[in-house]
Amino acid sequence: MVCNMGVTKVIEVPIITAEIPIGPQHPALHEPLLLKVYADGEEIIRAEVNTGYNHRGVEKLCEKNTFYRDLFIVGRVCGICNTVHANCYVRALEYLLDARPNNRARYLRVLAMELERIHSHMLINAVMAEIVGFDTLFMQIMLDRERVMKAKEILTGNRVLADYMIVGGVRRDIDEVKRARIRDLLLKLKPRVEYYKKVFMEDETIVKRLVDIGVLKPVDVTSHSLVGPVARGSGVKIDSRASDRYDAYDEIPFNVVTRTEGDSWARMMVRWDETLEAINMCLYILEKLPFDGNPVPDEKRLPRVIPHGESYARVEAQRGELTYYVMSDGRSPSPYRVKIRTPSFNNVINSAFMYVGLSIADVPVALTSLDPCISCMERVTVIDLEKNTRYKLTLRELAGGKV
Amino acid sequence: MVISVSSKLDFFSKYAVKTEIIKPKRIAFTVKSEDVRHIFEELIKQHGHGAFYVSTIAGTDLPGENKIRLDYYVVLLPEEETIVIRTYLDRSNPLVDSLVDIIPGVLSGECETHDLLGVFFKGNPFLKRGFFVALDVAEKGIYPLRKDSGV
Amino acid sequence: MRRPKILGLVLRNFAKRPATIQYPRVKTPIEEDSRGVQYADLTKCTGCTLCALECPADAITMTPIPQGYEVTAKNPRRIYPLIDYSKCVFCYRCVKVCPVNAYIVTSKYDIAGPTRISSEEYSLSTLKKVS
Repeated sequence: MVCNMGVTKVIEVPIITAEIPIGPQHPALHEPLLLKVYADGEEIIRAEVNTGYNHRGVEKLCEKNTFYRDLFIVGRVCGICNTVHANCYVRALEYLLDARPNNRARYLRVLAMELERIHSHMLINAVMAEIVGFDTLFMQIMLDRERVMKAKEILTGNRVLADYMIVGGVRRDIDEVKRARIRDLLLKLKPRVEYYKKVFMEDETIVKRLVDIGVLKPVDVTSHSLVGPVARGSGVKIDSRASDRYDAYDEIPFNVVTRTEGDSWARMMVRWDETLEAINMCLYILEKLPFDGNPVPDEKRLPRVIPHGESYARVEAQRGELTYYVMSDGRSPSPYRVKIRTPSFNNVINSAFMYVGLSIADVPVALTSLDPCISCMERVTVIDLEKNTRYKLTLRELAGGKV
Repeated sequence: MVISVSSKLDFFSKYAVKTEIIKPKRIAFTVKSEDVRHIFEELIKQHGHGAFYVSTIAGTDLPGENKIRLDYYVVLLPEEETIVIRTYLDRSNPLVDSLVDIIPGVLSGECETHDLLGVFFKGNPFLKRGFFVALDVAEKGIYPLRKDSGV
Repeated sequence: MRRPKILGLVLRNFAKRPATIQYPRVKTPIEEDSRGVQYADLTKCTGCTLCALECPADAITMTPIPQGYEVTAKNPRRIYPLIDYSKCVFCYRCVKVCPVNAYIVTSKYDIAGPTRISSEEYSLSTLKKVS
């Protein structure tokens, strides 16, 4: 399309676009997702997110199993965020039962979730380093991530799948020895995270590849329901830890990290800052852990019947707001309906508009900055097509599909 | 905080048929299905796109009442108060106006609810079957989350 | 082009020993109370099937105890929980719900191999053979 001053006629040149599938198996994308981008030369003019490579039907599975079996099923929706899934489901049940665990259990739950946040944020930052071609940094971050994996193993009994939450408390307590060991590991980890944050701030490779890539405006964030570090990187303060104050978050001091840049770099920096916040929270918990009774309920004596009713729990997972809706009919031993909405479900599917105008090489960077977790997203599956044309429409119209 | 939120929702009173509480403390407004779009249009008109986001669309099949219940979980910013806009659709012909042209963020929820429960969102051009479970199930017209689907 | 930020770190790493563990020749250091292989102690087990009902992975099947073992009188049906470790998710729900605390827990984790592995050998080794 050419339109110069003084030219009265507009010449329409048909754009020959190249269709480039990224995924479901792709060296630059570690998740089973098909991101189909249409490029005019180097520039992306349209992007489609095609999903459906990892569907397992967890919601249906939950309806077919009992409440307590579901606890371990929802923990396996996603490996990286298993304690937050379990916590959200357990709290949904506790709302129905009007039960409240004791303070020690609530602190230990937060400890497990914050340890998970540390290792998840370190992982995605490492993956980002790998995506931009900085494999040395990837290896280094992953090596230091082992410390927090060990801390999680000491606390929960397993490196990844914690199975730590139970209705009315947690499933194992910690003693003084374990407490000192976790504290030691976190104190060793903290300077490393500060160092990596500095690398991400100052290193030329990282800054060149991340800054101004995939900019999201605050109004687009809310209208597209983007959550978590993606929203906070654009200056939208959405954090259910601060608003819902579930578990012990009402007693543990922490800051909600926001940045205003809105680009991929800001999202990664939000994650580093949150990692540091999480380390501070963990150290606070280990120091101030209350002693008000046994946090481990006897699993043989859990209530067999969940009363009739509905509950809706929110949790701030590493990737954003995770919600569970649980409905019980009061008679059957299994839930009537479990609705899981994971953060990646919104962040990945609704953000196809973000890729327009990027160059092809920037697409993996922009996608990774969303922290995509397809196993979370595709407990249920969606296909969607975002149609975009570059020249005539505003961004909001584009994303709404008005072509 | 409670006062500021309820003042935002003043106009709800003319639509709400019933209010109830979903634990813990989420107010659910039951509205007629044809009003859903008006409510969101009015919400945008009065407070703008930055004042809320649609967190989840949760559909539940209620074969006993021959209804499909549709809950829009809306988070009001900056207080982050979750409210629920609840509507009931006829199970044999579940049809509701789509919001995707005014709130693009509902896209994922609408596509999911269509795929799993067979709710039709009028005016959403992206609805598609067959990507959910295996194609053979979708081609048979089975909506897996319906209680009588046999899946 | 400026000096890369992590150059110092990389150079220091040359002087260090490798961080990689040569598994399985070298064992991974693991916590003593981490969740590993668990099996029922058949001297305590009453064959109540509660663990099999509660197992989220359906990994437990109640199996008759073969002839030639001294079974206690507490287990009149002569059945025991047989855990299929290739299905087991090691959530320890069975350990926690057992009304007689019959489960023995270990931190053994290196059970992957070419053959299917179950708790048969472990559980039956807790019983005495009939002489």
